[in-house]
Amino acid sequence: MRKMGRKWTEKLEFGLFTLPVLICVAVIFYVPFVMTIRYSLTKWNGISKHPKFIGLDNFKQIFTGDTNFSSAAWFTIKYAVLYIVIINVLAILLAVILDMKLKTSAWLRAAFFIPYILSLVIVGFIWKFIFMQGFESLGDSTGWKMFDLSWLGEPGLAFISILAVSIWQSIGFYMVIYIAGLQNVPDDLKEAARVDGAGPVRRFFSITLPLLAPSVTISVFMALTNSIKVFDVILSLTGGGPGGTTYSVAYDIYRDTFQDNLYGYGTAKALILFVAVLIITILQLTIFKRREVEA
Amino acid sequence: MKKQSAGRIVLEVVMVILSLLFLYPLFLTLINSLKSFAELMTDVIALPKHLAFDNYSYVWKYINYPRLFLNNAIVTLLGLAGIIFVSSIGAYKLARTKSKWSALIYFLCIMPMLIPFQSIMLTVLQMAKHLHLSESDWGLGLMYWGFGAPLAMFIYHGFVKSIPKEIDESAVIDGASGFRLFFSVIFPLLKSVTTTVIIIDVMWIWNDFLLPLLMVNGSPSTKTLTLAAYTFVGQYTSDWQYAMTAMVMAVLPSIIVFILLQKYIVKGVVAGAVKG
Repeated sequence: MRKMGRKWTEKLEFGLFTLPVLICVAVIFYVPFVMTIRYSLTKWNGISKHPKFIGLDNFKQIFTGDTNFSSAAWFTIKYAVLYIVIINVLAILLAVILDMKLKTSAWLRAAFFIPYILSLVIVGFIWKFIFMQGFESLGDSTGWKMFDLSWLGEPGLAFISILAVSIWQSIGFYMVIYIAGLQNVPDDLKEAARVDGAGPVRRFFSITLPLLAPSVTISVFMALTNSIKVFDVILSLTGGGPGGTTYSVAYDIYRDTFQDNLYGYGTAKALILFVAVLIITILQLTIFKRREVEA
Repeated sequence: MKKQSAGRIVLEVVMVILSLLFLYPLFLTLINSLKSFAELMTDVIALPKHLAFDNYSYVWKYINYPRLFLNNAIVTLLGLAGIIFVSSIGAYKLARTKSKWSALIYFLCIMPMLIPFQSIMLTVLQMAKHLHLSESDWGLGLMYWGFGAPLAMFIYHGFVKSIPKEIDESAVIDGASGFRLFFSVIFPLLKSVTTTVIIIDVMWIWNDFLLPLLMVNGSPSTKTLTLAAYTFVGQYTSDWQYAMTAMVMAVLPSIIVFILLQKYIVKGVVAGAVKG
């Protein structure tokens, strides 16, 4: 009898401790997710009372006749690939330099990290100002041609601007991850290689980099999940322009749902984004996990 | 040896110059927030001749800065408190219970890390309206409980596993159980990971944009700081001096906090990324 009672209190306690988080997660993620799946099969403008069921028509149209989506997808892929590669290379470079224990390392680390604590929308506006007003003055005083270009007005340049501003904002984050990773590379290994006559470049590629693999996994993973959802910075920097050439998938979904009121169609795209993120994440984690080296 | 140290000095100088160039946009923002319109239009990179502090008093009043700051604080604190509460108790119990149910619940709790916000934003918003959480800062803060739970669960769960079970058992012998055991014995031991959760979530919620845009953009009295800066710039596209003033006012709190707590922030961000 007493044992039964104890079992019950244990169960009750388990419920009391886990139910709050379960409810929060269910309300915020699972219920909306199921609703998303349902809406994606309908045509709905949000005003009429009932969404009209149209099966897979939304998906058919997205994949066959939607140039907005295909150009946004292409933009996002290009952006993600370049962002991941450039930011990781630069961050490793910065981390290696800062790890050399320069006198100003503390200042440098803080300086490169600061933009990361700022809101991306604000960062976008600040750079819009720099590109539109600041570059004019800089061009006048330096005479450099580079400042006279229309960095937000030409599709190719606008793409580069978005990429550069995103990298500027977040490089500090990747840098500190790599600095932490470098501190786990044992000094005696590097020392042994030095004694064996390996130069700094050789030492970096055959010792430091392989041992940095866990940090690379984390950073590439973070860079991927962040870049595939790029939105805020584009909104404030170019607003999708010029001529709608800088819409990302996330921004395209936002445009369909909240600016054009295509609720069913927009959620169908949102579902495609989810599946893409899921597949890419799983692929990436399995590939990188296999490659890591034990220190 | 001497050659190497000369190389180091050159490297050091190059890096310092690079870091100053890196922060130059922020510097330009600051100096232009203190110029008059005419002065800003003639030369952006020159230092202001006299400091136009009235830009600040104008924007301060126009956007009702204290109110925005309070809104941000309410949303961030409420969100943070909830995330820490539900995640720490949940993760603790799940990490201590070995059963199929426990594993399943844990999986359900961390799985949403893979769901992009844009995939569910419309339906989340509709549900928020249904539950009367939209157009209110309290409602917005409550929403973060769910959005922040998966990562916080993951971080807490991993850490609780490293705390020996004997601690629970000896507390039970001393007569503590349930929530009392958790909050008087276990929770203090979680201090280091709680700090990590606080840092990551404050940075995220304080600066978050899209969810507040969808949730509380309807009225000036519920706007958050970033949101107000966004609408303000939209209205003042040509009055760059006011826009820059609003930018400075929006980022200054973050920068001050960063300068004061730099060490902890960097450590927390790294810990969060490495565990998450």
